[in-house]
Amino acid sequence: MIVSGPATIWHRAPAGEPVSSFDEAYAIVHDALERQALDNPVLAAHLEMLEDPVLSETVRGNVAAGMDALTAMDAARDTIISMFGQIDDEYLAARADDVRDIFGRLRDAMTGGGGASAPYRVSKGCILVAEELFPSDMTGLDFSSLPGILCHKGSVTSHVCIIAHAKGVPIQVGVDVSGIREGDTVSVDDPMMGGTPYIVARVRAAGRKLLVNAGNLDEIKAGIAAGADGIGIFRTEFLFLQRDSMPSGEEQRAMYREALLECLGRPLVLRTLDVGGDKMLPYMPLPPEDNPFLGLRGVRLCLEHPDIFNVQLRAVLDAARDVRELRPDWYEAGSPMRLMLPMVCLVDEIRQVKELLRAIDPDYASLVQVGIMVETPAAALDAAAMAAEAAFFSIGTNDLTQYVMAADRCNPGLARLYDPFSPAVRRAVELTVEAAHAAGIPVGMCGEMASDPRATDLLLAAGLDALSLSQIKLTLE
Amino acid sequence: MVCDKAILTAPTGLHARPAGELVKLVKSFTDSTVQISVSGRSVNAASMLSLLSLGMKCGTEMEISVEGGDEQAVLAAVRDFISAIKE
Repeated sequence: MIVSGPATIWHRAPAGEPVSSFDEAYAIVHDALERQALDNPVLAAHLEMLEDPVLSETVRGNVAAGMDALTAMDAARDTIISMFGQIDDEYLAARADDVRDIFGRLRDAMTGGGGASAPYRVSKGCILVAEELFPSDMTGLDFSSLPGILCHKGSVTSHVCIIAHAKGVPIQVGVDVSGIREGDTVSVDDPMMGGTPYIVARVRAAGRKLLVNAGNLDEIKAGIAAGADGIGIFRTEFLFLQRDSMPSGEEQRAMYREALLECLGRPLVLRTLDVGGDKMLPYMPLPPEDNPFLGLRGVRLCLEHPDIFNVQLRAVLDAARDVRELRPDWYEAGSPMRLMLPMVCLVDEIRQVKELLRAIDPDYASLVQVGIMVETPAAALDAAAMAAEAAFFSIGTNDLTQYVMAADRCNPGLARLYDPFSPAVRRAVELTVEAAHAAGIPVGMCGEMASDPRATDLLLAAGLDALSLSQIKLTLE
Repeated sequence: MVCDKAILTAPTGLHARPAGELVKLVKSFTDSTVQISVSGRSVNAASMLSLLSLGMKCGTEMEISVEGGDEQAVLAAVRDFISAIKE
């Protein structure tokens, strides 16, 4: 991905008094590292390196041989780096950068720089431009407002790059930055950043949940194996399509049980049968409609056909009960089985489904949490009332965009209008999030927009608690 | 003294972070000394810099030796830690 913006030139702020001996510099740096290492594993590794007797003995040996403290440190640094330099492995050769960083801090402490790499403030939205950056320089940075980093020295496997990527910030190294002045417009080209990795890093950095969309058991397995926090939408249609009769209750129960077991205690958001509109079942003939997308589909169709819907609801409850017998611990913080109703427009539709559930099992609420997919303008506009009945929201942007913008998503001539970034769709998302949070229920997103890296920062800023990705290209950890 | 062999299976070699955790573990056994040797070169596993200088890659075979108190338990702990490094 390529990002552009005004440049801000990196320089370290001076702080502290100069000291004269290695031991004093060591104490200053040790103290600073000890504090910074608490929440930073890279700096915890630096602390181990600093505490390594090999380091201090090499410096002291040089001092004993007659060198002044600064020269002794520089010589010790070169001796230690030469231990790594002989290794023909770029990952381990990059450890030489870590050694340079530690000695840079020691030198800094000795010459009055403070050695603590004082947090450096970068103006919001500016691209950080530096000749060389060390991992310790990264500790004070506010990554949430940093669009990118340009750096002359360093390799893509260095810790600075790893830290930047973990924070979702694009970084380009090996660029001659000597001619760049404060405020110049610069761009950062980082092919390693973009798409799914970018979304994953941003969502993780914001402390929100990463879920995965699934249409069958294999996709559930792959998503959980990749480290997803749960399944954001399990489309149950696959059980119903491509066959010539309705799946039996036992068949459904076995499938839902296996799906929930595959989630290992993480939430499984199971969307109830969502046919009608453009998705028809061959064995369930329905009268043709003039406007199928405005017709009998989703929960409307299910409520019209309780004979079919009850079989699915009973199978879900049975599966949740089966799994609870095996793993009661998964239910301690509420059932991991989440029932999500599609195409809800009236609060009463949620109540009707709960009535059906209660008729099957009066104790249904301990087996499933009932929430809705917010994909109609009615659900978004009346979200506050919906939130009083629903245990969670998940925004389905594909249909929400089509209905808010009154633009058929299958009509290429309307692509200009069928745009989830339209102000009205964004407002619908905001309304939904505000209502959910006011009621204290979680709100996620499972539409295509959640898988669009251009939308990630917007959605996190809007307050979405979870993004459910439509595909996994790499591990989510 | 007790010895055993282990193989590093972390796909990109021994990184600073897991190496730091290994050093921390070794240092917690105050009654024993742990040496790790690769291709005949032996270093003190409590020294982060020496450990990294071994340049261990995925598939590197090493010999762990422990001398001091509770040798078997320390050996098992170090061996298990190394085979569990995955990053």
